[in-house]
Amino acid sequence: MAFEAPKIDYTGKIKEITLGTGNKAVKVGGSTSYPFYLFEGQMPNPPRIAMEVFDFAPDDWAEAAVEPFKDVIGDPVAWAKKNIQEYGAEMIALQLRSIDPNGLNRSANEAAATAKRVIDAVDVPVILWGVANHEKDTEVLRLIAESCEGKNLALGPVEEEDYKQIGASAIAYKHTVIASSPIDINLAKQLNILLDNLGVPGNKIIVDPTTGALGYGLEYTYSVMERDRMAALTQEDEKLQYPLICNVGYEVWKTKEAKMKTGDDIKFGDSKKRGIIMECVTAMSLLLAGADILIMRHPESIKLIRKMITDLAS
Amino acid sequence: MGNFIRIGENLNVMSKILGPAMKERNPAPIQDMAKKETEKGVDYIDVNIGPARKGGDEMMAWLVKVIQDVTDTPLALDTTNMEAMEAGLKACKKGKALINSISLQTSRIEAGLKLAAKYEADCIALLWSDQGMPRDANERAMHIVDFMAKAAEIGVPNEKLWVDPIVSPISVEINQVKACVEFMSMLKDIAPGAKSTCGLSNISNGVQDNLRPWLNITYLIMLMKHGLYSAIVDSFDETLNDFINGKKDNIVRLIHRMMDGEKVDINSLSAEEAKYAKSVRVLAGESLFSNSWLDI
Repeated sequence: MAFEAPKIDYTGKIKEITLGTGNKAVKVGGSTSYPFYLFEGQMPNPPRIAMEVFDFAPDDWAEAAVEPFKDVIGDPVAWAKKNIQEYGAEMIALQLRSIDPNGLNRSANEAAATAKRVIDAVDVPVILWGVANHEKDTEVLRLIAESCEGKNLALGPVEEEDYKQIGASAIAYKHTVIASSPIDINLAKQLNILLDNLGVPGNKIIVDPTTGALGYGLEYTYSVMERDRMAALTQEDEKLQYPLICNVGYEVWKTKEAKMKTGDDIKFGDSKKRGIIMECVTAMSLLLAGADILIMRHPESIKLIRKMITDLAS
Repeated sequence: MGNFIRIGENLNVMSKILGPAMKERNPAPIQDMAKKETEKGVDYIDVNIGPARKGGDEMMAWLVKVIQDVTDTPLALDTTNMEAMEAGLKACKKGKALINSISLQTSRIEAGLKLAAKYEADCIALLWSDQGMPRDANERAMHIVDFMAKAAEIGVPNEKLWVDPIVSPISVEINQVKACVEFMSMLKDIAPGAKSTCGLSNISNGVQDNLRPWLNITYLIMLMKHGLYSAIVDSFDETLNDFINGKKDNIVRLIHRMMDGEKVDINSLSAEEAKYAKSVRVLAGESLFSNSWLDI
């Protein structure tokens, strides 16, 4: 008898979700098999990368991460444009770190105005990422949602404690929400149910499982995403059939290992190479677990991961 | 199902009223609880004093005495402190107490089994080893084999072992939830004559209080299908009592049918049946659990 490769019996499909508007809008999801299992199903929209922009000039970044942006850091509009023009970014992820009540604590009005300038200056989809402070995120994201009505932004992280407020704004002003749960598959499903009950349309939800960087819980995130895709694709779990997003760059580059300078510890080798590899390993692992959107930082990492995606998806 | 043994879990040091009463040696609230559990017809009253590192022996002896002043219901002595265990066994006048529990850990098993032999007491064989929680059904099977061997060596027959496969919350790891059910189906072949029990309410730990009984009861019926002999349960869960007393056999049959692989159309069921059916689906891992599992 000839050998027959075992085949997985898929019964579900990930929803297709569009971010942004116009001819630069990006479509993600739509898969009918595990990631890159093109011999078993379709992956009509390969995973996409959103490039990070900070809404203020960060002062604690690794040198290697600053270097590609040193002429635009502190000017989010120029930074976003550079990402698109020079590094070919298909999406921008604006990290609203300036609003952190434990940090710069910029007012909601000021932060929203900056965000609007960035959003108006680019034609690619924009992801807005708060600081997981429920009150402040709600305040800021609502203002942005309103002032950028119809732009189909992605607003996050939306958690069980603030989903009503941010979810309602997203519905009213036609944006997409990023449903965020703390590396827990049951809570991820629960939040999707709550958003559904609130009336957020099925094609306006993206799921953030919470990203653990390499050495900082990557394997937990991986397991949760794996379970998520298994339930969505083989158990017809409609409440989990949403694309997944991972906030990779921020999580990787804040680690001690990514920030250590060359020579701080000889065993750790070259600082730039180290940071980029850490970002790539995290990103690639999460792609294999099922990520549809990666938020990334370093242009070199992005180049490498883009190539991997192209190779695997063709 | 009339022979199913219930061990009431409510007399517990964790209780905000009973904990302080135990420490202050105030018998009234404790006796009150023991009487109430007796009224509910439990087969054993669990007397849970926790680890009780200091003075556990005196506390257990005192508790046994004041409880036995008001009830004849046998006791399950629940502590990891073996001195407290022995003090409790010694203090028991009415019936024999159940030792809850003896784990497989090297530091515990021998002392525990010797007490069981000395007092001719039954004991709960907790499948917790030096490596901690067993990872799947096979490790549970391995552990009970080790446990039986050790028990036989010390002179405790299988018939006196109540095997506890360790129930863990559905919101933590579904594979462990499935592993307990699978293990139950293997137990009578691996450990002929042994009894079984489990800390049932743990299945729903972390779930909203008013929804916990749906999971507790459904899981109980699933384990009972494979021969579960007893469980440590909430004495005051009336619905659970109805199930044990055979008043809900239609639901029991539904759960059994689903476990046997029948595809049940939830929409064709009554509202009550549908909730049990949905609970079977999440407990069997056919559908991923979430706090809204009954609503979708």
